[in-house]
Amino acid sequence: MKRLSLFATLLLALPVVPLLKAQAPAPDQKWNLDQSTLTYHMSHPMHEVDGASRTARGQGVCHAGQCDFLVAVAVKSFDSGDSNRDLHMIQTTRGAQFPIVQVRFRLAQASLNSPALDCDLEVQFAGNTAHYSHVTFEQKIEGTAHHISGVVPATLTDFKIDPPSFLTIPIKNAIPVRVDMMWHAL
Amino acid sequence: MRVVRGVYKEAMGLRIFSRRDTLQMEAGMEIYGRAWASWGRAVIGGMCLAVLCGGSGRLSAQVSGQQGIAPFATAEQGVEVAAAKADALALPDAPVPVATAGSAMDRGDSLSSSSSLQAFALNQPPSNGPSLSDLGLTPADTEGDAKRQALMDRRTHMLKIHQRLGLITVIPVAAACISAAGAPPERGNYSDTTSRDIHIALGATAVAMYAATASYAIRASKVSHEPARGGVKWHKYLIYIHAPGMVLTPILGAMAYNQINSGQKVHGIASAHGAVAAATAASYGAAILAVSWPIHLKF
Repeated sequence: MKRLSLFATLLLALPVVPLLKAQAPAPDQKWNLDQSTLTYHMSHPMHEVDGASRTARGQGVCHAGQCDFLVAVAVKSFDSGDSNRDLHMIQTTRGAQFPIVQVRFRLAQASLNSPALDCDLEVQFAGNTAHYSHVTFEQKIEGTAHHISGVVPATLTDFKIDPPSFLTIPIKNAIPVRVDMMWHAL
Repeated sequence: MRVVRGVYKEAMGLRIFSRRDTLQMEAGMEIYGRAWASWGRAVIGGMCLAVLCGGSGRLSAQVSGQQGIAPFATAEQGVEVAAAKADALALPDAPVPVATAGSAMDRGDSLSSSSSLQAFALNQPPSNGPSLSDLGLTPADTEGDAKRQALMDRRTHMLKIHQRLGLITVIPVAAACISAAGAPPERGNYSDTTSRDIHIALGATAVAMYAATASYAIRASKVSHEPARGGVKWHKYLIYIHAPGMVLTPILGAMAYNQINSGQKVHGIASAHGAVAAATAASYGAAILAVSWPIHLKF
């Protein structure tokens, strides 16, 4: 009877072990944002303005097959080429009170090498939080560097920002943010 | 084990068994139980071995999945949630959304959204994701300054008035320039002063409004000590032309007016009144364009 039990034990255990091993998540991993250019676009009947920041910081932590990413950038770091406009932008977006824009998203670790990344973004900006589902970013992998680009379809109303006006005409609601980032795994 | 009561309550509804039914079930189970007892031990032993060999990864994945259900939990709240779960291990409760301190949920702000919040919650970040401090940002970088925001709001308010008044001032400046054509005496006729008076009134209005416009820019709070960049830089440079011009022009105009009233031809420095006024008006217009440039008309 003991032999039978031992046989049954081994019989049941053997096929299960490799199956569980195969389902084990990828090892923990960290990602770092090396370079980035985040560019917002503002549109007015008389003006088309782009403001860019190259000082974003970002990190990703992968654990149990899921990677959590955080990208943060100071509102005041956006440069539109006009210091007065930039100060006005900071005031309008309540950048002194909420100085950091935070973007969080989660990706499956298995999808990190795919050419298109489908992200659900949580963006904290101007004291409000907006969520953007299924924002697609293109990815090009060059050696260890992952070059990611795409557009976040942000709008002023998402963050309850009063649109600034020029000659009594307000700017358009859409302020798409073009993202160009270079990540690499640590 | 005997079933004393014939009535069982199940979580999803009431099922009623008679006493006879339950006794029959017990008898059947005893026969089955004896036959499978040894196999049951073997199966349980095998499963234990399997779990010990390779099940830890799967177990940790399940735990992290549960953490993902309540993504906004802080460390303290996480302890409370864990304790509550330990008390009720038999029947796990539905997850309760918990907001972190300072999050939009915690502040009571409505979560403005371009998409479904529910859908996002399924793919929710980050109780264990990186934090701002992980990025090297200090509290000084991340904490807001309400006083500075109020200062900027005040500055913007004053500069908006500056802009509005400045645009309105264009009207009397332009009118004064146009009316200047009728200001000099025609063919030695020094007695008709109507057109000259109109020019003086428009000029005085222009200067008064210019002063009011300038006062709002001067009194606006200075929030940055960095050098000006872009159009506003030229806007400021042009002050060195139109500000002295706005002082000189009425002085020279008054001198010219007195010379004309005394029957003299305008002479000396007063004869520069027109040129100074033109330069002032031109630089004033350029200052407006400087902060509006480049203009891309797109309707």
